[in-house]
Amino acid sequence: MRRNQGCNQRDHHLARRQFLAGAAGGAVGLGLLDSPATAEKIKGQHKRVLQVYLQGGVSQLESWDPKPGTEFGGPFRAIPTSVPGMHISELLPYTAQYMHLLSIVRSINLKTNDHRQGRLFMEKGRRAGEYPYVGSIASKYLAPPNSELPGYIHISTRGLSDNTAAFLGAQHGQLKFEGVKPPKNLAVPKGLDQTADARRIQLRQQFNTQFGRGRSKSMTESFDASFEQAAKLMGRKSFFEKAPDGKDLERYGKHDFGRNCLLARSLLENNATCVKVTHHGYDSHAENFNFHLEQLGEFDKTFAMLLSDLHERGLLESTLVMVYSEFGRTPKINVRYGRDHWGSAWSIALGGCGIQPGATIGVTNEKGTAVVDREIDAGHLFHTYLQALGIDSTNDHEISGRSIPIGDPTAQPIKELLA
Amino acid sequence: MIFSTSFDTMAFIDLMADTPLAPACSILPKQRDHMSLRFIRKLLSCTALFMVGSTLPLYAEIPLHQQIDALVGVGNEQFEKTASTPADDATFLRRVTLDLTGTIPSAEAVRTFLADPSTDKRTQLVDQLIASPEHARRLQYVFDTMLMERRPDKHVPATEWRNYLRNSFWDNKPWDVLVNEILTADGTDEKTRPAAKFLLDRELKAEEVTRDLGRLFLGRDLQCAQCHDHPNVNDYLQRHYHGLNAFLNRSYLFKNPKTKKTSIGEKAEGLVSFTSVFTKEEGKTAPRMLDLPEIPDPANVKEPYKVKPAKNVRSVPVYSRRLQLANAMTNPTNVAFQQNIVNRLWAMMLGRGLVEPLDMWHADNPPSNPKLLALLTDTLKQNDYDMRLLLRELALSKTYQRSSHVSNEAEIADETDFGIGLLKPLSPEQLAWSMMQATGLTENTLINLKAKQIKADPKQGPQQTEEPQWQEEALHTALNRNVTTFVSTFGTVGAQSSQFNASANQALFLQNDPLVQSWLVPSRNNLTARLKKLKTTPQIAEELYLTVFSRYPSEAETEQVAAFLTDTETQSNQDLQQLVWAALSSDEFRFNH
Repeated sequence: MRRNQGCNQRDHHLARRQFLAGAAGGAVGLGLLDSPATAEKIKGQHKRVLQVYLQGGVSQLESWDPKPGTEFGGPFRAIPTSVPGMHISELLPYTAQYMHLLSIVRSINLKTNDHRQGRLFMEKGRRAGEYPYVGSIASKYLAPPNSELPGYIHISTRGLSDNTAAFLGAQHGQLKFEGVKPPKNLAVPKGLDQTADARRIQLRQQFNTQFGRGRSKSMTESFDASFEQAAKLMGRKSFFEKAPDGKDLERYGKHDFGRNCLLARSLLENNATCVKVTHHGYDSHAENFNFHLEQLGEFDKTFAMLLSDLHERGLLESTLVMVYSEFGRTPKINVRYGRDHWGSAWSIALGGCGIQPGATIGVTNEKGTAVVDREIDAGHLFHTYLQALGIDSTNDHEISGRSIPIGDPTAQPIKELLA
Repeated sequence: MIFSTSFDTMAFIDLMADTPLAPACSILPKQRDHMSLRFIRKLLSCTALFMVGSTLPLYAEIPLHQQIDALVGVGNEQFEKTASTPADDATFLRRVTLDLTGTIPSAEAVRTFLADPSTDKRTQLVDQLIASPEHARRLQYVFDTMLMERRPDKHVPATEWRNYLRNSFWDNKPWDVLVNEILTADGTDEKTRPAAKFLLDRELKAEEVTRDLGRLFLGRDLQCAQCHDHPNVNDYLQRHYHGLNAFLNRSYLFKNPKTKKTSIGEKAEGLVSFTSVFTKEEGKTAPRMLDLPEIPDPANVKEPYKVKPAKNVRSVPVYSRRLQLANAMTNPTNVAFQQNIVNRLWAMMLGRGLVEPLDMWHADNPPSNPKLLALLTDTLKQNDYDMRLLLRELALSKTYQRSSHVSNEAEIADETDFGIGLLKPLSPEQLAWSMMQATGLTENTLINLKAKQIKADPKQGPQQTEEPQWQEEALHTALNRNVTTFVSTFGTVGAQSSQFNASANQALFLQNDPLVQSWLVPSRNNLTARLKKLKTTPQIAEELYLTVFSRYPSEAETEQVAAFLTDTETQSNQDLQQLVWAALSSDEFRFNH
């Protein structure tokens, strides 16, 4: 046998799996996560994920890893936080008061400065290949069996539609909300009332019953499940359309990001499993400092309010919070007062479910140009996120005859961050 | 002597016992109509062996589709017991029309086919479908999805590439010729530029091109062998990946400063070496196709360039490694290339490959039926990579024509045996065209298009608009936007999987999107308009079933329709529309069965 490690593509385990199936029969085929006991345990706690994605690459120097007074430090100061000894940028005064709920990782080196590559690495925990996003994995393994909401909702005002589910299947792909607008096609067609709608659905099922006799159900079941999921979403139409409370809006801010975060809160409160909110516009190749002043001004208070609400409502214990980008920004300030793409030494913040709060992991050098301690990449972060959620990321996805390692087998979680 | 030592003597003895005349091969053609399947199967278990070893067409008189059937289920005593019965005419018509032309048949076509008393009507149908312009379009969709995997456009517009594919399939261009064109086009000649999309749109990135050459043309996903020999698949070695990579490592994207068009330039030097990240062993390789010999560069070249590299100049070497790629790929010695396309065509028709996943071909994941694979591969090679021939024979086989239905639920046969018709989800394109066909949008649109053309060109128009090619193209142009909508809703970008999954937004689209709903509103001669004119519910049920499900309804089904329609006191348009909607959204419609 050859060594069983390495980049471990989805197919690596096919051969091994067949060997096992031959030797030990079907029982091996059931992945641990699919076994009823484990699945039940995870679902019993109903763990959730809140992802705040700062699109374009937030500057670590203007956020989680400030270097005031150094060559590349920029004009902003560092301020103390609610965690003794932990300082972050003065652009995050509200968030600073809640840092005891979060931890910072300051030593990320992705070895890429490409938006797409960085984003995919951060989402999939693999540099290349077709793997599911964290959100799709959460949908598959954490969503309660009769969830009223789809497992992975992404609130964004623009951007691409990725195939986030890979081999996990379309039902675990992200459902995109364009801002606070509910998904398309939630309303029954004009001229149909609820009774007529129910009748046509019932007739559809009658057609299916006949067709299903004497046929394999695997594919038709997936098709029929999509209609059940659709019905649940349609039932929630008024929920999606409800205008936010005035006081809440005051606290969160009346801008898009404020409204999107309010929606995220109510989705999580209503048992959504993974909600991702994208805050666009951090790619500050020019006027980095003005841009960050403006962008983080919007982010800071809103995010702090959302975090404290989750905490006060008792949701934080079961909700993993991730604040991340596709990379950070160059320490070197360019001629347009901008900072460029920088995947080599940057930071993220995370907290909530399964994460040790108040920690700072890793160190960059004095000028912030390199990681000097505890270098990690998105593969390690990926294991950390999943293990914080109680998903054994060293296990395999068991998908139609293939065993596919959930996390990259060459990477490990950041153990000291796991609560 | 034709019976070589590799001959399966047991089979031979069996064969003799079954019929004393068997060794006299010359009499077989006369007898073949009376031969039992069992006999042919036995006979062929040896024929296939021969065909692999020699080019002697021993039993060439036996049509390929019968040879296929004879090999399916070999070695499984229970096969005949568990295998399902032949599909009825209506099911066959729908299945083969979808597979070969990408849409369901019209109600009229169903009526005609079912009423046709001729015994060879299935063969006639297959021949007719395969000669239609819709068949070229269907293969265009299949191969575009296979080769480009629905990635967004980069350098070559999709419309040009798709036209190129469609014309190639219309001409029944052999697979090796098509691949040769795709791999040699460099994008500088406008005539061949569409074929360069495969390389240009992947921007010659090794991790995309090398991987996809392996996956799509050789059935082997070598991605993991980039940094080390594959850890779990013993057959996938680092030198395989880098041997493929070496064909292209000297090529680069060149942007013409004037036209701003990107094409492929190539240098005359550059070697490929690699180090395993595990063992630190180093390797070097010239271009090579898996385990075939390396292709060395010519020695002692004095002037290596036709066009020397310079600023804003596309360099062209005298000896091009990239041009060697097409030769090596389509070379008769490259069996993987032949097996791959056979497997993919089989999967297109039968619902899963003989090797599945289609790109995981290795010793621990062998073909489920190696003899059958050998037979098909050999036939393809002997017939100059004629894909149309292969598709035709597949469609004529009993194996393809088996019902997807068993009477006893407890005994649904194993998928890999091909003893039962497998459900195939309609592709986004098939779904779109089938819904437009069923609702009557296609027919209504064609009537409009014809009238418009005749008005515009009163002389030629009447004749021109009767030509199948004109009709297909006019309809495609008029309705392509709907197809695009379906592709963005039901399609996936990236490696295509044979696994079926449906999402909530797809169901919401089917249920509530105004597009599908608009096709249900009665208009001219569309389905709901026709149903509205019918007086009795049995008539309505019959028209609905013929149009949407391509078959007659059973009595129980007619009653079900009647119950739905009489449930409300007044019969409105809505009832008929939602009757059609429920049928269109049903499992029976969503799958090719």
